[in-house]
Amino acid sequence: MQAIRKLAAIPILVLIYLTNGAATTIEKLSIEKMAGLAHAIVRARCISVSARWDRGEIWTFTSFQVSETWKGQAPDDLVVRLLGGSVGSLTSTVAGIPRFRPNEEVILFLQQTSDGDFTVLSWEQGAFRIGRDRRTGTEMVTEDTATFETYDPRTHQFSATGMRDTSLDALRARVRAAISQISENEP
Amino acid sequence: MRRTKAFTLAAILAAAAVAGPLADGYVFDTTVPSAGGCPQPDRWGLSAVGPLSRQWSTSLPLAPPTILSVAAPQTAAQVSEIQKAISDSFTAWSGVAGTTFNAAAYPGMLAPIAQVSAANSCTNDSQSNVDGLNTICFNQTSEGFTSGVLAFTRVITANSPGVSVGSSATATFAGQILDSDTLFRNDGQATFATPAALATPQGAGAYDLESLLTHEIGHWFGLDHSAVWRAMMFPYAPPPGQFLGSRPSAQVPDGPLADDDRTGIRALYPDPNDSVNVGEIQGRIVPANPFSIATLPAASTGSYVTGIVGAHVVVVDSDTGSVIAATLGGWTCNSSNPPPTFDGTYDIQRLPIGHNYMIYAEPLDGLVAPGDFSVALNDICPSEAATPCTTPNLATTFNPRIKPDSATGANGSRQRFSFTPK
Repeated sequence: MQAIRKLAAIPILVLIYLTNGAATTIEKLSIEKMAGLAHAIVRARCISVSARWDRGEIWTFTSFQVSETWKGQAPDDLVVRLLGGSVGSLTSTVAGIPRFRPNEEVILFLQQTSDGDFTVLSWEQGAFRIGRDRRTGTEMVTEDTATFETYDPRTHQFSATGMRDTSLDALRARVRAAISQISENEP
Repeated sequence: MRRTKAFTLAAILAAAAVAGPLADGYVFDTTVPSAGGCPQPDRWGLSAVGPLSRQWSTSLPLAPPTILSVAAPQTAAQVSEIQKAISDSFTAWSGVAGTTFNAAAYPGMLAPIAQVSAANSCTNDSQSNVDGLNTICFNQTSEGFTSGVLAFTRVITANSPGVSVGSSATATFAGQILDSDTLFRNDGQATFATPAALATPQGAGAYDLESLLTHEIGHWFGLDHSAVWRAMMFPYAPPPGQFLGSRPSAQVPDGPLADDDRTGIRALYPDPNDSVNVGEIQGRIVPANPFSIATLPAASTGSYVTGIVGAHVVVVDSDTGSVIAATLGGWTCNSSNPPPTFDGTYDIQRLPIGHNYMIYAEPLDGLVAPGDFSVALNDICPSEAATPCTTPNLATTFNPRIKPDSATGANGSRQRFSFTPK
């Protein structure tokens, strides 16, 4: 009988800690900053995921159905290109890249590459999962970077950091306020 | 009834001096074999006859300059200064005692660091870019960059034995790393300073090159991001002008690393001759009220959830207060009966023996939505996996309990107990 292998590792993606620091891979960006940098901000449902070789890299292409557009313009049938994925006998892994599963609903801060493809701004910082509070029915969002809480060795406390379990309405209002502010400041 | 029994009987907490199966735990990248099976930690299959190849491109962005050095740009002295930062970043990891990467115990596992001149040494326009040559590039553009992304490492792993890329070794196991490349942003949006340059006034606005390199090299070795603040694998580096830990020295080559980093690399590459870091703590985190998951599907292969998934478990030396290791619970996978099941298991290996440890666990109180975990579970249950794998439906509220019940309190949000590995 083969021994049961106990695997207790789940790859964490990025975790935000409220410092002024910047990620080794990802620089800390506020919601307001991201709202300004994003070419489009949408609410969308993941339809399908596929990976393939393109331009010397393995890319994952995720198709979304857009239901709301908070900023900019994005096609109703949105395709997002992100580094990494699994094709044939190889897997390409890049830490900090968000991954999606069909039927998930998300808020995405999007940027367009020089080729016109859509990608997620600042990777996990620009992806927010939508859930629903079972008791109240309220739609909630959790930023991918805040999926897991950070442990501070100095205080022995876990910190609920990043945008976690926040109402979708609150995020929407914050984004709209940021966009409005940006518009007012534009000459 | 079956579920209740599972909660009762699965109250396991074991500690042993083990040199057992491949250490699992901490935060590793994983690969699910293409033929199906349990997720495997990503790691190199190295030996002295097949050492890790290393090279970097000496092509550096000039306008605007991205690398800040004390030596003048485009000089041999600058190249030497950057090479030292790269070398020290590797040394931080190879200086960890208790690993097969330890340069003193296992010399020759890392090939000398070579230099190449082509800017695009990390990628080109054909599939052949996955060349098995592990490269650091400072002057390489990529469509993968977006605002805020400073650097990234792309790790290519085999999904099955027998695979190779370019000049890499042929994989002997799924999850074997075949190629790692690190790309730094080169569009002038960020500046990276060598340690010497960081200490100058100009370095105040630059990121510490060595800290970023050391973090990225951690990815080369198969480590994912850590949830322990100040660990090298914590995704956030110090602000510009600062660096993590201490600089590596001949006496303390792994000075930049935190214990969580050291334990992680030991668990990935355990030294069979290590007699110190051989402690292990296993356990489960389960809902204090098992009825809180009563609505979940009945137990069946690949679809049942009997424990807390995604809780952050931290091992702290109770005498020194130092974080020794941390991981995320909790799933298991029976290699003879995959895919993984989600039972709240955590397993922290390669702990120094002779110490008292406290276990801390993230409370996970409040709403726990499926979206909270879908990110992390994508590697464990990839949609393209040959063996179907159903991720847990966790749309409920959990108050966790750490098994065994001897833990102080039964329903607190931050349980802890003392434990001494044998």
